[in-house]
Amino acid sequence: MPLRDRPIQQKLTAILLLISGLVLLLTATAFAGYQYWSMRRTMRDMLAVRGRVMAANSTAALAFADVTHAREVLSALRADPHVLAAALYDQDGRLFATYPADLPVTAVPATPGPDGYAFARGRLAGFQAVAEAHGPRLGTLYTASDLDAIYDTFRLSGMIGAAVLAVSLLTAYFLSAALQRAISAPILALADTARAVSGRRDYSVRAPPAGRDEVGVLTDAFNQMIEELQRHATELEQRVAERTRELEARAAELLAANTELDAFAYSVSHDLRAPLRSIDGFSQVLLEDYAERLDDAGRDALNRVRAASQRMGTLIDDLLKLARISRAEMRTELVDVSAMARDIATELQRAAPERQVEFAISPGLKARGDAPLLRVALENLLRNSWKYTGKAARPRIEVGLVEANGGRAFMVRDNGAGFDMQYANKLFGVFQRLHSADEFEGTGVGLATVYRIISRHGGRIWAEGAVDQGATFYFTL
Amino acid sequence: MALLTALLASLLLQTGPAPEYQVKAVFLFNFAQFVDWPPPAGAVADTAAPLVIGILGDDPFGPFLDATVRGERRGARPFVLRRYENVADIEACDILFISRSEAKRMPAILASLKNRPILTVSDADRFAERGGMIRLVTDRQRIRLEINLEAAQAARLTLSSKLLSVAAIVTPRRR
Repeated sequence: MPLRDRPIQQKLTAILLLISGLVLLLTATAFAGYQYWSMRRTMRDMLAVRGRVMAANSTAALAFADVTHAREVLSALRADPHVLAAALYDQDGRLFATYPADLPVTAVPATPGPDGYAFARGRLAGFQAVAEAHGPRLGTLYTASDLDAIYDTFRLSGMIGAAVLAVSLLTAYFLSAALQRAISAPILALADTARAVSGRRDYSVRAPPAGRDEVGVLTDAFNQMIEELQRHATELEQRVAERTRELEARAAELLAANTELDAFAYSVSHDLRAPLRSIDGFSQVLLEDYAERLDDAGRDALNRVRAASQRMGTLIDDLLKLARISRAEMRTELVDVSAMARDIATELQRAAPERQVEFAISPGLKARGDAPLLRVALENLLRNSWKYTGKAARPRIEVGLVEANGGRAFMVRDNGAGFDMQYANKLFGVFQRLHSADEFEGTGVGLATVYRIISRHGGRIWAEGAVDQGATFYFTL
Repeated sequence: MALLTALLASLLLQTGPAPEYQVKAVFLFNFAQFVDWPPPAGAVADTAAPLVIGILGDDPFGPFLDATVRGERRGARPFVLRRYENVADIEACDILFISRSEAKRMPAILASLKNRPILTVSDADRFAERGGMIRLVTDRQRIRLEINLEAAQAARLTLSSKLLSVAAIVTPRRR
């Protein structure tokens, strides 16, 4: 786990332990080092002192060549088990006597070296001049001692030191574990509160107050933020509730209005049909049975009556269709739009084979929706395009998919008569026509139907166009 | 100095009979380190006065004693060698070596030297028993010391205990 991710308590305790451990170690090392140096110095001094004493005692033995007495003097070293060897040399540097008496000659230097003591090869050894006060040098004393005294003391103080170190570290550990809480407790409380807020989205919790240090400032700021959040959340909820109520009311209104309208349109169409049938019927009777009693003007007038009433019938039919569309149930399925468009194109071509129209239908267009309704919408759009390209030199109708308004939309484009964008908002109104019946025939209900169908699918439809430059209809589902 | 070392060396290693009187000369010289003479009565001790080693009778040392003491000092006192024929000739003397040639006259000599602060040394027989202070005894390649402490004390000479420790203390025969 990287250092950054370890819990604060661990970090604090670790830091405290590390510091105290380091300090203890440094102190211990310093002491040990001093002790070692000091011990060696003391040992050397003691050996030197002993050497001087022994040398003083050996003067007569050397002066008067008394080997026995020399050995006797040296044997006093028996008292110190750490003395490895001792030897007396005469003025010529020749070995005179040794301690222990039976020591092999190779155990001591063959000739005395310079006066003084030194640590070498695991022992402390050196030479001391033997002379009576103010007298000439009578010889040299050599003593050698092992370093066990140092090692023993060191071992002992090492163990004591280690024990003290261990106890100190343990104490440091417990102390730091206890004391770091002063720092970490408020931080942990804050962290807990933060977790509660972000995890459960519970804005009612507050972090416990934590004094006036930086953590306290953090806690206070945090609590303030939570309060703000809480307030905002409540506000938002209220607003959302309000809007929802408004929307629901509006939707209910709209639904009621639409239902009324549909019912109205349905019944009106139905009621209008009957008299229409009479008009048309009786006109026909007149034309057929009383033809020879009418003059040309009269026949012409009657034809006109019939044409008008038929036209009215178509209008009413279209209205009915429109109304029906609004009331029919929708069944959603995957629809192959490309195939549908091709079908409609083929029909249109078959119905008017003398017209040459180029169709460019993108393959693989699919949509989810009510198949029959979608077919009606597509038929209306394509029929419109077919109609309004009637006067175009090289008519071309495209069906495809485009990127528009941040999403994808189906597109039906033609290069026909187009329309003035000024009146774009009138396009989808019922009975709204932007061209006169002389130019193009039609009831003005087609686009309204398409609009209704697209709306029922939850989509949007809009159009772009320019006069004599064609029109493009976009719709989403 | 070289003579000294050669002397003792040959004695120790027994590479050959070290001239006996070589060693005895060194001993005579070394006695000065282990003996304290009383300050002369009256005037303050002249610490730079020469330390006189005298030889009474035949000089058996040959060149050795001269070589040993040449240029040496005890503290500030330079060593001086004197040779005497008669006891009466002895004036200021610190260490007196009485030669074997005087053996017959020994009692008279010792009597006249009695209580004088002179360290009497000899290798004559029974020297210490008869009142002499230090006798040099040749014993199987070694030279031992016999010391008559009473005689030394009577002459107010202080012999270092170190010297005593390497010597055999002899008490004179009481008649």
